Amino acid sequence: MTELTIAMPKGRIFEEAYEMLLEAGFNLPEEVEMSRKLMIEIPEEKISFILAKPMDVPVYVEHGVADIGIAGKDVLLEQRRTVHELLDLKISECYIASAGLPNTTMSEIAPRIATKYPNIALKYYKGIGEQVEIIELNGSIELAPMIGLADRIVDIVSTGRTLKENGLVEYEHIAEVSSRLIANPVSYRMKSDRIQDLVTRLKKCVK
Amino acid sequence: MSSIKMFEKPLGMRDTFPDIYEKLELIRSTGRQLLHTRGYEFIKTPSVEYYDTVGKASAISDARLFKLVDSQGNTLVLRPDMTTPIARVATSKLLKEKIPQRLAYFANVFRAQQREGGRPAEFDQMGIELIGDNSVFADAEVIMTAIDLVKGFNITDFKVTIGHAGVLSRILKDYTESEEQALHLNDLLVQRNFVGFEEAVLAFDLPKTKSDALLAYIEEAIRLPSIEAIEKYVRKNDALEYMRSLAKILDAAGYDEYIAFDFTLSSHMSYYTGMLFEVFASGSGFPLGNGGRYDGLLQQFGSQVGATGFGLRVDRVFEAMPKIEIVTDSVLVLFASERFSEALQTVKLLREQGKQVTFQSYEGIENIEALKAHYKIVNEFKSREA
Repeated sequence: MTELTIAMPKGRIFEEAYEMLLEAGFNLPEEVEMSRKLMIEIPEEKISFILAKPMDVPVYVEHGVADIGIAGKDVLLEQRRTVHELLDLKISECYIASAGLPNTTMSEIAPRIATKYPNIALKYYKGIGEQVEIIELNGSIELAPMIGLADRIVDIVSTGRTLKENGLVEYEHIAEVSSRLIANPVSYRMKSDRIQDLVTRLKKCVK
Repeated sequence: MSSIKMFEKPLGMRDTFPDIYEKLELIRSTGRQLLHTRGYEFIKTPSVEYYDTVGKASAISDARLFKLVDSQGNTLVLRPDMTTPIARVATSKLLKEKIPQRLAYFANVFRAQQREGGRPAEFDQMGIELIGDNSVFADAEVIMTAIDLVKGFNITDFKVTIGHAGVLSRILKDYTESEEQALHLNDLLVQRNFVGFEEAVLAFDLPKTKSDALLAYIEEAIRLPSIEAIEKYVRKNDALEYMRSLAKILDAAGYDEYIAFDFTLSSHMSYYTGMLFEVFASGSGFPLGNGGRYDGLLQQFGSQVGATGFGLRVDRVFEAMPKIEIVTDSVLVLFASERFSEALQTVKLLREQGKQVTFQSYEGIENIEALKAHYKIVNEFKSREA
């Protein structure tokens, strides 16, 4: 059996995905110690996990240092890296939407959009024929319309609570997001037996 | 604006240092020897071409071209690939002299990038173009040559996946309701987005028999089946017939262990009209190279003959091949000025024996010991007075 390296996002998605792997019958320890370790090796299954920031998972996979990975559709849409998208795991489901202060229209001259996802935002507004300017932020995006930095924000929404608590309303629904199983194109060919086996087994556990 | 420091290079450009240069040279000569013995003639084309001829016809997207303007105001490009310049030379001149043409190249090509490391903007490519032969044997020859070349670089763990643009487009057309739907599905396959493919098929609201067939086809085709297994999805089709004879030839030649058929393989390059393939090897996270039949490109240059070929990326071959150890008997001959002629005699003798000899006077250096440390053998002609 060949070695398989899997890049996983740290945190909640890791736990959900790990559950799915257990359910799919992989011989993994019930509990993993999520200390500060960045690599976990499972010699029984010849699998090693790399624990990365969610935004970085496609980077490891594209460069082939991880054979497969689990990444959010938001990250895939934003970075457009050359990876194969094999399976929708239907975990951590949410969506990307635009939001702003209630009952406002966008400024007529160069409306500004604050976002963590500049490429997704730009593509969306280009698609509907709006000429906008993008302001990239790294977090607490909801602040931007509140203090007048931007007319709209583009961000992921799961329950809508953060928006509501900050007095914002949703305007447009942009894209559905969930976690996907992705593969490096070379690994996909060179380790196709292992990867296909994993896909088939995981597919049965998708709810 | 910050000023440019003297050690900086433009984004994506690399220096090749002496030890790497020697190894690349070894790759080049190995490849050249192999292609030369198969009757491929090496060719060189200019680094700079007109945007209107080569730039537009090339499969590389506009944003990735390095563009310049000449003194007449014409837009020029640094060649982004070798296939397009060779198609230009072949159609305008070479094909009038001999047909078919078997041409080979080892050349640097340029593709701009603004992203990150690991993607050079200038890299060497090695490949062949077989122009003017429409037969299935030409395609087989190209695939076999690609495999032999990869093996020639001592790469053992590799795979070639072969598809056919005609088979795929037939299936996509047969099981969808409009041209746009087929194109959209093709785009998703180019990105290898199987999740998106499934979603799109369901979203099209096709008759159930069609959508079921498409989903079953994708499910089966990505597992690299035999040609027979996908027959049930295709109506009698010349392209499939063609692939069957290609498989037979490759079998007969004993290349079957390296190849797999992938009928979901699609390219963003619209000029690939027939068979197309990709080469993968463990050790490199990116494909080593790709190739295929590109009759469409020659049509853009006004020629009706067929053409097929492939290109390998030398930087990726380098990553995937076993480590090259180059052993040289490097000799340093140091001399004091009055013993110049005597030392030169020795140097000549050593060079005739094929040794790599550095001839250095004591006068020209300050730290003698430091220089000596770089050489295996040191031969000194010291001043007699000392």
